[in-house]
Amino acid sequence: MTREAYHKALKDLEGELQQMAVMVGTAVRESMDALKGRDLEASRRIVHDDIHVNRKRFEIEEKCVRIIATQQPMAVDLRILAAVINIITDLERIGDHAEGTAKISLSIGDAPLVKPLVDMPKMAEQAVSMLERCMKAFIDRDIESARNICNEDDIVDAYYDKIYGELVLLMIENPKLIKDATYLIWAAHNIERIADRVTNIAERVVYMVTGKMEEMNVSKY
Amino acid sequence: MGLHYQRRKLANYIALGVSVGSAVFGIVFLFWILKDVFTFGFAAINLDFFTQVPAPPGEAGGGMANAILGTLTITVLATAFGVPAGILAGTYLSEYGRKSKTAFVVRFVSDILVSAPSIVIGVFVYAIMVKPFGGFSALAGAVALAIIMLPVVVRTAEEMLKLVPDATREAALALGAPHWKVTVSVVYRGALRGIVTGIMLAVARVSGETAPLLFTSFNNSFWNFNLTEPTATLTVTIFNYAMGPYEDWHQMAWGAALLITAMVLLVTIISRIIVRGRAG
Amino acid sequence: MRDKFTTKNLNFWYGEKHALKGISLSMKEKEVTALIGPSGCGKTTFLRCLNRMHDLYPGNRYEGEILLDGKNILEKGLDLIKHRSRVGMVFQKPTPFPMSMYDNIAFGLKLMGVKSKSEITSRVEKALKDSALWEEIKDRLHEPALSLSGGQQQRLCIARAVAVEPDVILMDEPCSALDPVATAKIEDLITDLKQNYTVVIVTHNMQQAARVSQYTGFFMLGEVIEFDTTEKIFTAPSNKLTEDYITGRFG
Repeated sequence: MTREAYHKALKDLEGELQQMAVMVGTAVRESMDALKGRDLEASRRIVHDDIHVNRKRFEIEEKCVRIIATQQPMAVDLRILAAVINIITDLERIGDHAEGTAKISLSIGDAPLVKPLVDMPKMAEQAVSMLERCMKAFIDRDIESARNICNEDDIVDAYYDKIYGELVLLMIENPKLIKDATYLIWAAHNIERIADRVTNIAERVVYMVTGKMEEMNVSKY
Repeated sequence: MGLHYQRRKLANYIALGVSVGSAVFGIVFLFWILKDVFTFGFAAINLDFFTQVPAPPGEAGGGMANAILGTLTITVLATAFGVPAGILAGTYLSEYGRKSKTAFVVRFVSDILVSAPSIVIGVFVYAIMVKPFGGFSALAGAVALAIIMLPVVVRTAEEMLKLVPDATREAALALGAPHWKVTVSVVYRGALRGIVTGIMLAVARVSGETAPLLFTSFNNSFWNFNLTEPTATLTVTIFNYAMGPYEDWHQMAWGAALLITAMVLLVTIISRIIVRGRAG
Repeated sequence: MRDKFTTKNLNFWYGEKHALKGISLSMKEKEVTALIGPSGCGKTTFLRCLNRMHDLYPGNRYEGEILLDGKNILEKGLDLIKHRSRVGMVFQKPTPFPMSMYDNIAFGLKLMGVKSKSEITSRVEKALKDSALWEEIKDRLHEPALSLSGGQQQRLCIARAVAVEPDVILMDEPCSALDPVATAKIEDLITDLKQNYTVVIVTHNMQQAARVSQYTGFFMLGEVIEFDTTEKIFTAPSNKLTEDYITGRFG
């Protein structure tokens, strides 16, 4: 084994990517819990903490650039770096979506929710679970699993359709609720976007392993 | 630690002292010889020395003109015999034979020949040329000197040719050049200076030879323009005159010694300049 | 794109040593093919088969076929001198001949039987322009080639190879003795040469192979492990050994 320092740097990079994924996954879960539990304090904290995700993203990107500049990675190593640079963008956006959900929670403020959240937490859990399994597929270089995760985007889309339908119905019935119901549609939309980002990450995993760019499951939104 | 360091320093000084001393020891004798040759020799040098033949024994005056001409003739002839053969043999060793058995034998034999005493070669030429053809001659002298030159030229030519990188040969061959063309146009050019230097040194070496000439060209007190007759040379004249009973003979011998030393020195210096030119 | 050089099941022995084992490769016309691999893998040996340089030394043996434009150059009765004038070679260290820059390039032309002085002069100029050396040396063409810098000497050697208008130019680690600036110039030159010549280059520098070539062959222990487009080899090689070599996991 030669170039030990280089390969260690690559391994470390993967570790940091996993950390960042955990950070945003937690943010998504907590933002949903805060929305559901009307915990404005938690929402404020999540908005504030997004800065850490952004910092992490720049940190990882810088490391990638440094490795490219100093080690001239080739073949699989080059693909890992290309994948990481793309994935951190997606993760950072997922973090923004969590922050967005927290901001919606703050916008709703002291007002009660127009309806109790039942499907939305499930939808968020589905999206986070996809993210977590996708990151595991990255570590395991498991393209089978990555491809399957893409198909699960349909589940999230179905949740979204359902929630959207319910909320629109609610607005028609009671136009006073239009403002707060719209907030919830936005929140659901955020989660729908998260799942799309996970699909992108899965595509990167497949590219990293096979060297082929495939568009896997085109979201209908 | 301190002691150890002191000892290392001391050993260094001793080694330095011994080697400088040895160098000085050698150089002192060289300069001593040069000083004597120059001081005694200059007294004998005058116009007659270069233009007159030796005066009969006991008479004053006379010169070395015939011996100077003899030395030049024999050296030039020896070079004409020895150098082409030597270069061609060196070319064989470096360009064609390389690791073959023949090349090994040639190398081995020429190494032996280098260290053969020159008097042996003189006797050998006496046996194959002087005796069968019934007399001493400049030709026989030239052949003896050529044989002495040969191994020196062979090995220098080989070494100099080998200094030309194989990649250069391959580059010429890769352009589609035939082997002989590569040797003549590329390798010889690259080795030219080195080979010329080797030849000069070989010439310098043989021009100071005496012993083989005693058995081949012998000596002559008169002008001789016939290559098949005995011919005077500076070195043999020095040998005879220095042994002679007359003071002015000793005087002439010193003059001849100065001349031959100056010639050898000149050739050596020229070859040094050529070598320096190569480095620059 | 047409195949210029093709080897079919080429085996080569240095005396007893089996140095190349069943090499089958195709080198495309007017493309740069790079040969990479760890030291002693046979890439230079392979290159030197293509102009039959091994014939210079006794005890070497070929088996199989090497086709140049479909004609087997291992067949008996091949005019080696003519073959070598069709396949130019540039060596690891610059190999200027001990003569003037002009004469270096004229050497090959004269060998080919070009007699007219004006033709030689114009072809020397063209070769030097093609090798991006003309501007640097046009005022001192008759000075010794050895007075040039290493990088210039190497470009002179390329000019010398190009002057005789060969079909193929073989390069054996042409930049390994050069500094990065000289290397960059040679690499640009290789890219230009591709317009008119088929180039086969052996290199230890994988980035160089990636930069200059369109096809890359990976050699190991006398065998070709993988041969593909350079793009494929350096982004997604199919063979694990290739992958490990180019990512520095061994070698």
